[in-house]
Amino acid sequence: MPFPWLSASILFPIAAALVIPFIPDAGDGKRIRWYALGITLITFLITVGAYLNGYDPAVEGLQLVERVQWLPSLGLAWSVGADGISMPLILLTSFITSLAALAAWPVTFKPKLFYFLLLLMDGGQIAVFAVQDMLLFFLAWELELLPVYLLLAIWGGKKRQYAATKFILYTAGSSLFILVVGLAMAFYGGGAPSFEYTDLMAKDFSTKFQLFAYAGLLIAFGVKLPIVPLHTWLPDAHGEATAPVHMLLAGILLKMGGYALLRFNVQLLPEGHAQFAPLLVVLGVVNIIYAALTSFAQRNLKRKIAYSSISHMGFVLIGIGSFSALGTSGAMLQMISHGLIGASLFFLVGATYDRTHTLQLDDMGGVGQKMRKMFALWTICSLASLALPGMSGFVSELMVFTGFVTSEAYSLSFRIVMAALAAVGVILTPVYLLSMLREIFFGKENTELASHTHLVDAEPREIYVISCLLVPIVGIGLYPRVMTDTYRASIEALVQRETTALAKVIQPPPGDLIRQPLLSAPALPA
Amino acid sequence: MPSAAELAWLIPVLPLVGACITGLGLISFNRTVNRLRKPVAWLLISCVGAAAVLSYAVLAQQLAGAPPTEVLFNWASAGTFNLQMGFRVDALGAVMLSLVTTIAVLVMVYSDGYMAHDKGYVRFFTYLALFSSSMLGLVISPNLLEIYVFWELVGMCSYLLVGFWYDRDGAANAAQKAFVVNRVGDFGLLLGILGLFWATGSFGFEEIGSRLQEAVAGGSVSNAAAILLCLLVFMGPMAKSAQFPLHVWLPDAMEGPTPISALIHAATMVAAGVFLVARLQPVYEPFPAVQATIAVVGTITLVLGASIALTQMDLKKGLAYSTVSQLGYMMLAMGCGAPVAGMFHLVTHAFFKAMLFLGSGSVIHAMEEVVGHEPVLAQDMRLMGGLRKYMPITSTTFLIGCVAIAGIPPLAGFWSKDEILGVAFGSFPVLWVAGFITAGMTAFYMFRLYFLTFEGEFRGNDQAMRAQLLAEAGKTTDDQGDSHGDDHGHASHPHESGWQMAMPLAVLAVPSVLVGLLGTPWNSRFGNLLDPKEAAEVAEQFSWSEFLPLAGASVGISIAGITLAVLAYALHKIDLGKAVAARFPALNDFLANKWYLDAINDKLFVQGSRKLARQVLEVDSKVVDGVVNLTGLVTLGSGEGLKYFETGRAQFYALIVFGGVIALVVLFGSLG
Repeated sequence: MPFPWLSASILFPIAAALVIPFIPDAGDGKRIRWYALGITLITFLITVGAYLNGYDPAVEGLQLVERVQWLPSLGLAWSVGADGISMPLILLTSFITSLAALAAWPVTFKPKLFYFLLLLMDGGQIAVFAVQDMLLFFLAWELELLPVYLLLAIWGGKKRQYAATKFILYTAGSSLFILVVGLAMAFYGGGAPSFEYTDLMAKDFSTKFQLFAYAGLLIAFGVKLPIVPLHTWLPDAHGEATAPVHMLLAGILLKMGGYALLRFNVQLLPEGHAQFAPLLVVLGVVNIIYAALTSFAQRNLKRKIAYSSISHMGFVLIGIGSFSALGTSGAMLQMISHGLIGASLFFLVGATYDRTHTLQLDDMGGVGQKMRKMFALWTICSLASLALPGMSGFVSELMVFTGFVTSEAYSLSFRIVMAALAAVGVILTPVYLLSMLREIFFGKENTELASHTHLVDAEPREIYVISCLLVPIVGIGLYPRVMTDTYRASIEALVQRETTALAKVIQPPPGDLIRQPLLSAPALPA
Repeated sequence: MPSAAELAWLIPVLPLVGACITGLGLISFNRTVNRLRKPVAWLLISCVGAAAVLSYAVLAQQLAGAPPTEVLFNWASAGTFNLQMGFRVDALGAVMLSLVTTIAVLVMVYSDGYMAHDKGYVRFFTYLALFSSSMLGLVISPNLLEIYVFWELVGMCSYLLVGFWYDRDGAANAAQKAFVVNRVGDFGLLLGILGLFWATGSFGFEEIGSRLQEAVAGGSVSNAAAILLCLLVFMGPMAKSAQFPLHVWLPDAMEGPTPISALIHAATMVAAGVFLVARLQPVYEPFPAVQATIAVVGTITLVLGASIALTQMDLKKGLAYSTVSQLGYMMLAMGCGAPVAGMFHLVTHAFFKAMLFLGSGSVIHAMEEVVGHEPVLAQDMRLMGGLRKYMPITSTTFLIGCVAIAGIPPLAGFWSKDEILGVAFGSFPVLWVAGFITAGMTAFYMFRLYFLTFEGEFRGNDQAMRAQLLAEAGKTTDDQGDSHGDDHGHASHPHESGWQMAMPLAVLAVPSVLVGLLGTPWNSRFGNLLDPKEAAEVAEQFSWSEFLPLAGASVGISIAGITLAVLAYALHKIDLGKAVAARFPALNDFLANKWYLDAINDKLFVQGSRKLARQVLEVDSKVVDGVVNLTGLVTLGSGEGLKYFETGRAQFYALIVFGGVIALVVLFGSLG
């Protein structure tokens, strides 16, 4: 039997977390933080090992499969595996978590509990991406809510109780839909119930069923992604979280929504997707513009970046709804790219807050005089976020745009209008990000701020964390195939599946947005 | 041994490597690297210098008649799509490569003197190298997609460099304005590129051109759609090359250090738009409506720039508006279907305008010795005058630049501008009239700048004027002199700059005088290189009887402009302030307020977008989130009520959930 890479990467951090209470510690958390950093690094190495030893990017199906019967009466099995959709996200998760452990260095309040929860999340999040069974998925999804709730409620800012409660109500409420739809899918068509993706994929759900199931799941995952108007938990949660939690929220949690949309809504319910895709595109455009505007008006730094995350997730929605390999690839890449860029920006927000003790832009100004390196890091990460070429965000947005515009699934006018509106984001993003930079760093030094605080420049640990995030950001930006080739086969198979389903959907949906082939295909380069 | 063309990829890579080394050094070992001023300068100048040598080799090959080279690789791919990147070397690219590297090296040498006292010396050189790299990458891009990539990168460098003195509010605002206005153009450019890709399935210039024409002829793309796509793409050059109405960022960008104004905002980056339009000629040519639009936009721009330049009192701003106007000329040439003429003006303008800007930098540097580091004082011509005595090299080269731009033969500007006016006369006579009159205005405002700055008496010690200027800018006397290096505003009169600054001026004076002779209409070597067929045709059709009247007329109007400037500012025979400004206050206000475009932009877009954003946020927190919180409250309330019926909370919830699940399963079962 080969080494169970995926199970190890899930269970190892959880098991290691359980040991934490027994580690003797002086109470300042110094030993614990080294321990947690080591564990997250080992977990990262395990996932890298999984990628190098058991994963072949050219294969489109499931790999690294491990299956153990758990509760046969319920049809529940411990079943994990990875394909192109999940493998990059598993790597991203363990990578970001190890950096979050490093980012958590200044945490001194209840360190044992903090790192316990951090490690629990590490395993839980990898599980979300790796499990191949809907019931397990639901369990992992819920398992990872609890640590987030506690991390928010104990280490958060002033309104932490409110934010944490809102978060848990929102996500727990919406995840009911997962359970319900999962049950319905498992029992559909009679026979022995099975929650496994492969079994569900083989089932021939009726179109009507797919529509209902799709709608339910869209709400559940739409909260997570988030899709406007289901987003209001996010600015509160992000506004109150500490930097490391923040990195996990933006870097990984949001991606769970996008991943689940691809995994369930597109893969399991392709006919539902064929009907709903135009809605996804419209919602994506709304996300981009609406959140960019709210971000522009925000005066609180954390909430500003939080809204910018929502705006960037809009491209994921458009990509998923694009019915093109290029666009869907772009959506995947946007998730990875935002995971990296979002994490780096939120890390910087935390690092800046440690120095200024305020997040209000009105109280800042001229900070760049004393914190030059911090200014440089902020500038680089903001430019990455506004999709500067040479960095990953540009490639993913470009792929989504190109994929969507050349997609044969939509009428020309729909494509024109949506692409033009989405491109408004190209103008709005620099407006809010550069305004933010101007208000924090440019101009004369704010004397009041300078007198109250000790503005020391970025320390090596902080530069190291950002550099670790920048290496893949720039690497993907220069040569995107290092990333896209790892999941290309899976995405192409997925798009094949949804395109077949599109052809099956006969009646046009309301609004006539899905187009039957009218235009002759443009000549494509060989 | 690979040929120079095969090694062309090294041209942008060399400066990039240099910039990366110093950039990483700045972030990791800030203090140490900041102290290594000369080594960093040497490293980066040699990187760009090596790129220059390679560029000359490439140009020499092209002059010898080498065919264009193109190397491509698959950059991103999915499904059947392949997005390609690579590089392409042809005559047009080779000319631009040599131009950019030459001016970049000269500006870097100049900066060694200009930025000598600045704390950000190393950072400045790093940005310069980064910019050179991006600009060179843009020049050798083989397709629209890669152009877009470097287009954004030069924009970023411009942002960084305009905002270089980040403690100045003016610089901060200008940097952001430059980036955002350019993004407005890029919005169109991006959509246009995507649209052209949809219509033709290609990003390559020639392929797009031929396939678009076929598609229109075949009826799969309507003529109107093709025109729309072409114009969308043109929005990019409009922003980058400061064409009306997207020119508003360029004058503000003068907040950056003056070497930047010379390199980026006069000679190279702003010319990128013109360069792109030249590259896109195969696409634009079949659509006369597109060409006409480009010509009209160019003409509006050239009139606007020159008219505003008439009243500017800030030396750099005056030059900036002159750049806007000259870019308008280039665009006019493109619109007339004469890319060679436009490119030729781009080259000549790059030399003399870079020289003029570097000259103004030399003046400002000298003025700072007297009035201190306050741009409001150091750049205002009301405090200058009589500088010729103190700064012979600067004043001589500046005068050469003025004569060149005014269009007096045989200096560079005459040949290129006259070629454009000649083409315009043939294609759009109305636009020619505008260009012709503007030529007179150009001569007038340039000599106005010259006389106000270098002739007469030195006015720098006029305390009353200083106080007045500061008051106009809303500053107090205490504000002046900030943290850039030593504040040495104590000299009584300015001095000529050191060799690092004087040498580039002298070097640039040579092409400013001579380069025009490469493009004489009867034997245009420049035309032969870029488009031998057309050049041969032009040379064949050339007749002195056509050339002389047009050339004579434009020289005549230039001399008229110069004479007016001499009368008004050198001999003080006419007081234009009384004769014109007082008599036509509306016109004067219109020009002094820059056609009110900044005010309109501010009201409409800046305030408008802020207001919209605030309202959306209001809706977000009051309505969208309000509904959520209301639901929460209602649930809490009902929870309070239900509490009394409750026996065991967990079971109760489980029951509810179970019931719900059953109901849904039944529902789904009946549907399936």
